[in-house]
Amino acid sequence: MFRFAPYVLKGMWRHRIRTLLTVSGTSVALLVFCFVGSVQQGLRAITLGEDSGRTLVVFQENRFCPQSSRLPEDYETVVAQIEGVQDVLPIKVFTNNCRASLDAVVFQGVPCDELAKWRELALMEGSWSEFQSRDNGAVVGSAVAQRRRLKVGDRFTIGDVSVNVAAIGESPAAAENNVIYTHLDFLQRARGANDVGTVTQFEVHLREAADPERIAGAIDAAFKSGPVATSTRTKGMFQADTLADLAELIGFVYWLGYACVGLVLSLVATTTVMAVQDRIKEHAVLQTLGVRPARVFRLVVAESVMLSALGGVIGVLASYVLLAFTQMSVATEGVTIAFRPSLGLVTQGLFVAILVGVLAGVAPAIQAARAAIVPALRTV
Amino acid sequence: MALVDVIDVTKEYRSGEETIRPLDGVSLAIDHGEFVSLMGASGSGKSTLLNLIAGIDHVSSGSIVVDGTDIGALSRSQLADWRAQHIGYIFQTHNLIPVLTAYENVELPLLLLPMSAAERRKRVEIALGAVDLLDRALHYPRQMSGGQEQRVGIARAIVANPTIVVADEPTGSLDDETSEQILVLLERVNRELGMTLLLVTHDATAGKRADRKIRLERGKLSESGVRIQPYRAQA
Repeated sequence: MFRFAPYVLKGMWRHRIRTLLTVSGTSVALLVFCFVGSVQQGLRAITLGEDSGRTLVVFQENRFCPQSSRLPEDYETVVAQIEGVQDVLPIKVFTNNCRASLDAVVFQGVPCDELAKWRELALMEGSWSEFQSRDNGAVVGSAVAQRRRLKVGDRFTIGDVSVNVAAIGESPAAAENNVIYTHLDFLQRARGANDVGTVTQFEVHLREAADPERIAGAIDAAFKSGPVATSTRTKGMFQADTLADLAELIGFVYWLGYACVGLVLSLVATTTVMAVQDRIKEHAVLQTLGVRPARVFRLVVAESVMLSALGGVIGVLASYVLLAFTQMSVATEGVTIAFRPSLGLVTQGLFVAILVGVLAGVAPAIQAARAAIVPALRTV
Repeated sequence: MALVDVIDVTKEYRSGEETIRPLDGVSLAIDHGEFVSLMGASGSGKSTLLNLIAGIDHVSSGSIVVDGTDIGALSRSQLADWRAQHIGYIFQTHNLIPVLTAYENVELPLLLLPMSAAERRKRVEIALGAVDLLDRALHYPRQMSGGQEQRVGIARAIVANPTIVVADEPTGSLDDETSEQILVLLERVNRELGMTLLLVTHDATAGKRADRKIRLERGKLSESGVRIQPYRAQA
């Protein structure tokens, strides 16, 4: 088959404008496909992630925005005493935009000695000691740092909150790279005295054998008649509920990805049909020389796959670079979905491109292979 | 035994309601090393007969046996393999692949045969040398004259050392001088390389160069010619 590679490649080069247009169309479609895939992947990562079922989030009952959930900080002691609870992390959340936004900044204030324990942050710049020693010190997630061009030592202000970048951290959980971590008491005080002694939510880590549903029920029951009632869900469920509207939109956008695949299929198939019709006589000449119909079939499919794969490689790489360098994310109600490129997405994109190339080439390839030689030789 | 035996061959096809019969009960034999010209007016069935012998068309009835193989019994794929090994086809309009150089065009039939790259290279150079176009090996068809293109077509037809070379009006699109050069070249293919040559032409001058003239009229054989003892290349 490779003996005929120059023929296939030169055939594509012969109609380079057509090839270029098809490849560029394919690459744009694959870029969109991978982009949409990364959004879907980001959503899956935070709703179905490893700790999403084993960690509980305690929020104020009937509250959805982090700005309006105000739980007494001393609830921590009660929650920690419930059987099956391993640890409780009080978190104060502040975001500059509660609605869905592509550039929302989310602050999470946590006890500074607990941060390293419950977030897998590897510091790329700065140090933990610098964070701990400065009252307004912040560990900035790498995606925010890149998006906002922050470096260690910078002062960063959003609304009433002003922090000093003490470190920049990278987490394997992409969503955590879009958060700025501060001291809990700093964030409680940052917006006036009203928030002192309150937190937005508690993150409850469970022991191995503990039943999340039972403990969630026990927590809510404990505060049912307290000053502030709570609503406790698994982290995955909490994030899914918070992102419900956005998730619906993302689900719809996912169809856009399939539409892109359909677009590539039709684009490559059209180009291949045109190429075959242009070369009816040429294929007849090849068959006269002794090329088997099956080989003619393979040559046409090979050209179709090359077109699609070339566009696929460009589109997939472009999406990878775009996602890696822009560190895009969308946040709503303080929960962030990170659009991260991944090897799985690259593989999926390339597989789709090759599969579409094969499918688009089959019909024209059958047409080319089945054409009777003598009438085809008479075509002009 | 003859190299090619055409036995009572009829070819029919339908055009709307009408049945057209370009060949009607034709029988003939061509020996090893013969140079046969197949002549006749337009529509007499000479190209149809050539295409049937070359295995790119099917008989409606009768049979064609080439070098002991009844080619009507072969499947499309088997026929393709058979053509790759036994047939060298020279077209009237050259039909070179425009995106390939002269060298690559001549190499094409060899890509279908089990052969090393070195052997292919050697054979292509010999074939291009035989048509005096070694210096044009890297030229594309668009960079060559009609005569040069046809010489590349001849090199492509002989490069795999086929059992029989068939030429369908190879001078039909060329001027007189170039036609003469091509005919001389075809004569050399037959005389010096010892290849059996079947030439379809309506040009009487071209036909005279053959060992034997076969004439077709309205799909029937009107003259099967007297065979002149062909020259055979010395081993």
